[in-house]
Amino acid sequence: MRILIVEDDNLVAQGLKQGLQQLGYTVDVARSAEEAEAFAVGEDFDITLVDIGLPKADGLHFIRQLRARGNRLPALILTARDSMDDTIKGLDAGADDYMTKPYRLPEVAARIRALIRRSNAVVDACLHHDGIRMDTRSHTATLNGEPLDLTNREWAILEMLLMASPAVVSKDKLVQGLAGWDKDITPNAIEVHVSRLRQKLTTGTIIIRTVRGIGYRVDAAQN
Amino acid sequence: MQPKTNPPPQREPLSLRQRLILALLTPLIVILASSSIFDYQLAKKTANRAHDQALADNVFDLESHIKRQNPSPTLDLTEEAEAMLRSNAPDMLYFSVSDSSGKVLAGDTDLPKTHSQKGEQVEFRDGIYQDKAVRIASYRANIRNQEFQIVVLETTEKRQQASSRILTAMVIPNLAVILATMLAVIFGVRQGLLPLREVEHDIAVRSANDLHEIELSGTPSEIRPMLHRLNELFALVRESVEVQQRFIADAAHQLRTPLAGLQTQLDLATSEGAFSNNVERLQLIEESTARIGHLLTQLLTYARAETSNAIKANFEPVQLNLLAENSASIFLDAALAKNIDLGFEISPATTLGFPWMLQEALSNLIDNAIRYTPPGGIITVRSSSADKQACIEVEDSGPGIPDEHLKHVFERFYRIPGSPGHGCGLGLAIVSEIVQLHGARIDLEKSPQSGLRIRISFQALA
Repeated sequence: MRILIVEDDNLVAQGLKQGLQQLGYTVDVARSAEEAEAFAVGEDFDITLVDIGLPKADGLHFIRQLRARGNRLPALILTARDSMDDTIKGLDAGADDYMTKPYRLPEVAARIRALIRRSNAVVDACLHHDGIRMDTRSHTATLNGEPLDLTNREWAILEMLLMASPAVVSKDKLVQGLAGWDKDITPNAIEVHVSRLRQKLTTGTIIIRTVRGIGYRVDAAQN
Repeated sequence: MQPKTNPPPQREPLSLRQRLILALLTPLIVILASSSIFDYQLAKKTANRAHDQALADNVFDLESHIKRQNPSPTLDLTEEAEAMLRSNAPDMLYFSVSDSSGKVLAGDTDLPKTHSQKGEQVEFRDGIYQDKAVRIASYRANIRNQEFQIVVLETTEKRQQASSRILTAMVIPNLAVILATMLAVIFGVRQGLLPLREVEHDIAVRSANDLHEIELSGTPSEIRPMLHRLNELFALVRESVEVQQRFIADAAHQLRTPLAGLQTQLDLATSEGAFSNNVERLQLIEESTARIGHLLTQLLTYARAETSNAIKANFEPVQLNLLAENSASIFLDAALAKNIDLGFEISPATTLGFPWMLQEALSNLIDNAIRYTPPGGIITVRSSSADKQACIEVEDSGPGIPDEHLKHVFERFYRIPGSPGHGCGLGLAIVSEIVQLHGARIDLEKSPQSGLRIRISFQALA
């Protein structure tokens, strides 16, 4: 996995680079939007981490250029600016996610994994998450290499949860997502499906956590 | 010890309205009053002249009773004639006719002494007779070279009756005119000052942060220069507030990048085992770093909430239930880390506002709840709408806020002494700022688990 960091602050760039290298990623650092564009045109990356405040052209400009060329490289904005207005601007420019400084390395790593997961799901039609593998083309799933037998509804629920992770998915969203299979599905029925899904995942390393009053989130199982 | 001297009481300066009313009403009332007095005098004079004429007729009547015979004329007044003369109700009539030697030939003998000038004119004057005010007419008649002094006087009953009739006939309409004038002046002044009142209202209903300019079109030209100066002042204040807020925002912003570097290096050092034999120290460093980060975020938010050209025209519909739902993803990890049960009771609730600010307000409430609720506690976030109100509510099972601190918790950098956690004291100040800006209400009360329940009530969007 190869990551392009676009950041002009040396301390931040080096810290991220070392941290991500320790996690097994290959990391390149660009100090400006212009340098980053040169990298992005010549080489293949799996994800880019972009700071908005750069010396000349800003990070949003770099992302816009990327998208204008049809490059779908996942982009995670890491910035000192925060507020919904800036978030919306960043996402409108074509970024996939947004984090404000200061951040913790494990958090950044989790977001990177999620973005790569979603990107792969689109590119390879294949979803990987902590030992679960869902191939949406052949509609087959495995858990730690063992076949995982899922009903259509369970499949849809698990797919939505894995795609959204680490965000919480509300029951309403699940109901809407299942409307294609079952027009009159109720929130109570969702609970039944989730409970069956949990039983099928007991041998794995992930759990489906209930968030009281909202819905569910996929978490790493704690031993 | 010196006795305390009270400053002289300052008299409240007259208001514009009072000045106008005073300046208009005083001369008007003086003019009206003096013209009434003048009219009254004139009318009374005319009435008096008519009565005097009647009195003069009596004089000539008496003169006609003097017989023109030689060598000496005599008065020939029958009893009937005298009785007729004296019948002068409601007044009493007295008379005397005397010759040149002063001998009274007929009539009353004790009338006041009178010496009329020789002439054709009857003379009139006021006098007192038998302790009563009387009108006296005197005439010196010359008949065949013999002089007679004729005096007729009557009490003033008729004249007084006439005066009081004139008075009532004049005073009532005049009073009515004065009253009508006063009302017209007061009403007119009020109408005239209405634009001032409108401007005053425009300024009075502003929130403390609202520094937009006063609309000049439609204001009277007299106050426009003043309003113009006021607008310039607003602009100055606005600018200085903006400069200050921009400075805070810039400073916080600039500090975040090095802090991110520090945090990353710290995470790296930890993962490399640099603190493996001193975990407590690591914890302290991590806590400090987290506090700095939190403070910077809060400062930025506060600066932004205070400056934003928060005009209600820029409000947009905000679904409070969605804000609550978003909060689940934001705060679940923090709650899990403290083993707190973070739950939601969400029903649709929509209001008008700035979405990022409302999310920020809710986030601050939840963040506070997580900070102050001990491990194993319960936090519930609610959204609801009822009675044209859209509410958002955060309830915790923490220690609550003692009554004596309640009124201070919305102040900047106020922290309850001895409270746990690493809050910076800006959270509720930010919430309060945002609540004010949205014209919402915030209520703090004890939750059923004796923790804190904070509810923000907005006007619901139907």
